[in-house]
Order: sequence, then structure tokens, then C-alpha cells
Amino acid sequence: MIRTINIILILASIVMLASVYALKFSIEGTASERTALTALISEQEGQLSLLKADWAVLNQPGHIDPIVRRHEAELQIAQVTQEQFGSFTALPMRPAKPDSAAMDALFEAIAQGIDPIDAILELEGIE
Amino acid sequence: MAVATEDYTPTIALDGARKQRGNLTQARIRWMILGVLLGFLLVGGRLVQLGMVETDQTIEGQTRDAIQASRPPILDRNGLEMALDIRVPSLYAEPRRIIDVEEAVQKLRTVLPNLSEEWLRNRLSGDRGFVWVQRELTPAIQEQVMRLGIPGIDFITESKRFYPGMNEAAHILGSTNVDNQGISGIERAMDNDSLALLQELGLARGNALTPVDLSVDMRVQHVLHNELTDAMQRYQSIAAAGVIMDIYSGEVIALASLPDFNPNEPATALVKDTFNRITSGIFEPGSIFKTVTLAGALDAGAVRMTDQFDARYGVRFGRYTISDFHGKNRILSLPEVYKYSSNIGTIRIMQEMGKDNFRAFLSRLKFDQRVEFELPEMRVPTVPKELSEVAAATASFGHGLSVSPLHMVAAYAAFANGGNYIAPTLYKRSVAEAEQLYERVLQPQTSAYMRYLMRLNAISTGGSGSQMNRAAQGYRAGGKTGTAEKVVDGRYSSSKVTNFFASAFPLDNPRYAMLIMIDEPQRENPQSGTTAGWNAGAMTGRVVQRVAPMLGIAPDFSEMLDQQIVPPEVRRIFPEGY
Repeated sequence: MIRTINIILILASIVMLASVYALKFSIEGTASERTALTALISEQEGQLSLLKADWAVLNQPGHIDPIVRRHEAELQIAQVTQEQFGSFTALPMRPAKPDSAAMDALFEAIAQGIDPIDAILELEGIE
Repeated sequence: MAVATEDYTPTIALDGARKQRGNLTQARIRWMILGVLLGFLLVGGRLVQLGMVETDQTIEGQTRDAIQASRPPILDRNGLEMALDIRVPSLYAEPRRIIDVEEAVQKLRTVLPNLSEEWLRNRLSGDRGFVWVQRELTPAIQEQVMRLGIPGIDFITESKRFYPGMNEAAHILGSTNVDNQGISGIERAMDNDSLALLQELGLARGNALTPVDLSVDMRVQHVLHNELTDAMQRYQSIAAAGVIMDIYSGEVIALASLPDFNPNEPATALVKDTFNRITSGIFEPGSIFKTVTLAGALDAGAVRMTDQFDARYGVRFGRYTISDFHGKNRILSLPEVYKYSSNIGTIRIMQEMGKDNFRAFLSRLKFDQRVEFELPEMRVPTVPKELSEVAAATASFGHGLSVSPLHMVAAYAAFANGGNYIAPTLYKRSVAEAEQLYERVLQPQTSAYMRYLMRLNAISTGGSGSQMNRAAQGYRAGGKTGTAEKVVDGRYSSSKVTNFFASAFPLDNPRYAMLIMIDEPQRENPQSGTTAGWNAGAMTGRVVQRVAPMLGIAPDFSEMLDQQIVPPEVRRIFPEGY
């Protein structure tokens, strides 16, 4: 009786010993994985900070302005002048209603085969 | 057996073999227990001993953590980074672990040839636990040094401050030292506020800090810096500076001073003459101060817009006579005094007000104390406590007192915004927040007069601001020139001058005040002059032309806008308004 209990206990302790060892090693494995990940994260954070710095440099007006100046001639761009600004209020109002009589006359002329543009072109000497 | 031994004298008892063996076993067990106990005591003692040892974590007086202290990123008003932290490797050595110093020195110098051999040898020998070799290197150099494989040499990651704008906002940002502590500019101001405490407590780590929003607009800052650089070259001047301020919220939109430095290399800040002329330079303001005199006199009711002043003869004080630079030698109305920048007229206006009232008005505009501002670089202005008759007369046109350009721009902001003094700031501030801080220095009516006078100076024929208006057509800018002669060997020199242009735009509905200073300019070409209108004025115009669209001000050529700001009483003397 006691012998069987002893054998069971011994077996149990061997199993527990083995599992504790397995647990220990798996924890060590996880810990080193964690350390590696932490190192990777901090390295990538470092790279990220450098990339952010690069991005900030490239976005600076002081960086973009010389590039614009260099390509002024090629792209035919220039500093905007005051006269180039407009506003919606500055646009002329649409005529109150379309000139229907003139439109009718135009459509009739086209229907009869007379193109008013031809007359203008002939007058200008363009064919 | 106990009964047998009790009653009799001891008898010879022979232990059986089994008993003898039992005694022996007990003795062995005791010895074993003793041995085990000793073993445990030994291990325990060693543990206590190890616990007593303090491990050496110090890095030349600091803890390892402090060098990784980070600072919050600084953003401009549109969210563009002006300063941020980057992680960089720093090279250190543990001399007590270096096996062959000579070999280490030779190998290191193949990668870092700028290190002195002698210095490096001294650095690496000895028994110290930690020495810096070189801080803040690049990842490429780190890679090369690691490949050398020298024992006792390693890297540590540090936070380093980086300013992507380079020189452009140098005087606003200031700089930090190698330990990431602010030593000047807004960086220093941030430390003074709260950041130093955070770093000390170890809370400022990683990138979790909330960014600091400044009021500066980097686009405008770039234009201002660019135009100042251009002005330095164009006019061969020794220095140039400028500041643009929102007149309602007090936010500084741009602030630059040349010569400047690169905050990424803090050593360049130590070069002579790179100080911030806007805050820590004090100058005789010259004629831009006439605006102050006129505003004070008009506000006190001592003079009216339509009054006439005799500018035919100079004003005599004992042996001295003060006369005009470009004398008209006739009777001038008040707007003409301003337009022609008449010293005589200004003195008479000041005298109408009374010198004590004039002095009190200067105090009201805070000309005798530092401007409340975040930057730590500040100088106290020199304004005499009491003004004699002569001192008051010269002070009325900006001589005999020295104030910083920041004082002047704050005063001009108050003149343009309806008469409220608001201290400038570099942090974001809404108009509603600023209104709590307003201090009334002028009545709104006087402010309206001042706006008219400034605009008059720009568009009227003969006005000193016409050079400015040429470039800034349509943006309704106006202001006042100031040409202050420098004192050379105790006398005012007419060849060395400091030129100012103080302005506000757009004057029909003002938003921004600007001050430009150019120190000792030369003629641009033989046809031009050295007075302020030719350089500081013209430059102001170019800046307005470039920044107004960025600040959301649309050009408008309609004359009606200009006519609207003409006060009705002025129409009696100038029916056409200007």
C-alpha cells in the first residue's frame, strides 16, 4: 500500500520537477524575446525620430523656397502679384436673361447653312 | 531496562552492535545538519554582502536616465515642427575593461580621426568605470565603431534636440546644451516654466510629451528671414532685424534678427553680434517715436488734428537749435508734421501736452520697464525718470532714450488696435484670452486718427512711407520711418545711422503690426539715399507683399477703403483726404 503511494508520489514529483523546469525555460525564452522586442522597438523609435526629423526638414518653407526658385524659369512660375488675386464678388453678374432673339437668329442662320464663324474667318483672311 | 539500571550501581553495559550503529548514524546526521547550516550561512552571508554593494550607475555626475531626458516638440501655429528630439548614439568607454589601450586608441582614430591621440589615450587609461568618448554621433559611425570590436567601448542612446528650420527661427527657439536642457530662447523659457522639474522627476521620457504650440507662422518667419538676409546684402548693413505681431491677440507671428546662429550648433550662438536685437537690443528709436508723441498729445486733447504748428524756425534751447532734416520752413498742419517728419512740429506738439504729461504717457505705454515676454534675453530700456525741457524736446522725436524694438511694436499695436496695450507672446493666444489682459492706453478715436496718419504717410505725395507702399500696393499698409543717428565718439554721426520702419496693415481693418530695423545701411545705388524710407521702408513693403496673402489679406485697390479712414475734421484742411 505504502509502496504504491510512494511510487505515485515519486512519479508526481518527477513530473512536477520536469514541468517546473519547462516553465522556467519557457519564461527565460519569453524574457529574452521581450528584451529583443524592447531593443527592436527602441531602435525603431530611434529610426522613426530620424525619419520625422527628415520629414520636418523637407517640409520647412526654408527648404522648399530655394527649390521653387531653382525651377522658376523651367516651370514658368513667378511670385504672385496683387493684380492676380480675385474674388467671387469681383466677377460680373450674369445678364438678367439671355438674348433670345439673337439666339433664334443664330440658330436659323446655321439651319440655313450659313456659319457666322466662316464670315469672320474670311474677313480675317484665315482659311 | 530503565528499572534495571535505577537501583543498582552502574554496571558494565555492553552496547549491542545495532545500538552502536544507531549512535553513529545520529552523530553523522548532526554533522550533516551542521554542514548544511554552514553552507546556508555562507550563501546567506554572501547575499547580504552583495546587497550591501552599491553598483556604479553614475555617468560623470549624472544618472543614466537623465541623459535620455526628452523635450516636447515645438510646433508653429500651423503644426509644422520647429524643434524635435532625435535619438542619437553616444560613444562611451569603460577604461577598467579595456585590455590594450594603445590598440583601442589606434582603432578608434581610424573612425574618428578628429579625436586627439594624446587626449584619447589619457581618456581610456586608468581605472574609471565610465567616460564619454564622443557624444551625439550618427548611426553610420556607430556601425563602424561596432565593427572594430574593441572591448570596453560601447554606445548609449541619447536624446538630442534638432531644429529642422536651421537658422530661420534661431532667436525664437534658442538652443539646448548637450544634456538637453534649454540654455536660451523659448527652450530656456520652457525649462523655467515646468519642464526642468519634469525632467528631474524622470517623467520626461520617451515621446509622450504634449507638443508646445507657438504663435509663430514658419512661412511668414521664412519670408521675414529671407528678406532680412536680402536687406543685409542689398544695403551692406551690419545688422537687420524684424518682428511681426498680431495686434489683437499679441501673438508674435515672426521674429528674426541677423546676424544669427544655427541652433543645431549651439557654439555658433557665442559668436559676437548674434544677440537678439528685437528683445535684448536697445536703440534710440528716432522718428518712429513721433507717432508716440502725437498719439499722446491727441489723446490728452492737447492738440487737435486740424491744429497748425509753426515750423519756420528751429526751436532754441540756450545755445542749441533743433531744426528739421528736410525743412519745409512753413506753418504745418498736424498731419503734415507727421508726413514730413518735422522735429520742430513734434516738439511744439509735445510742449502743448506738457513734458510731465508726456513722460507719464511713456510710462503708460510701459516704455520704462521690460516688455512681458517669454524670451529670457531682455534688456531694461533707458528712459530718463524726469525729463528736462531739452530732454523732453529730443525725446519727442526719439533721441535721448533707448528702447527695444519689441517696445515699439507693442506700442504700434496699441495705436492700431483701438488703443489697448497687449503684451506680446510667443505662445498661442486667442483674442478672447487677450482681451482679459488689455490695458487701455488710448481712446478708440485717437487710435482711428493714428491709423489715418500712418496710411497718410504711405500714400500722400512726399510721405516718408511711399517707398514702402510701392511694393505693398493694395494691402493698405502704412507706417512711420525713423532714421536715428548713432553716437560716434560722443557726437551724433550723420553717416552711421540705425533705420527703422514701424507699420501696420491693412489699415482699413488692421490685423498686424510690424517693425523692421536695419543697422548702418549703405546706399543701394547712387540714386537712393540712406534714410529709412529707402531701406527699412522698402523692405517692409516687400515683406507685406509676400506675407499678406499667407495671412489671408486680399489685395484691394479700391480707393474707397482709404477714404473711409479719413477723419471728417481732416477733410476741412485736406478735402481730398490725403
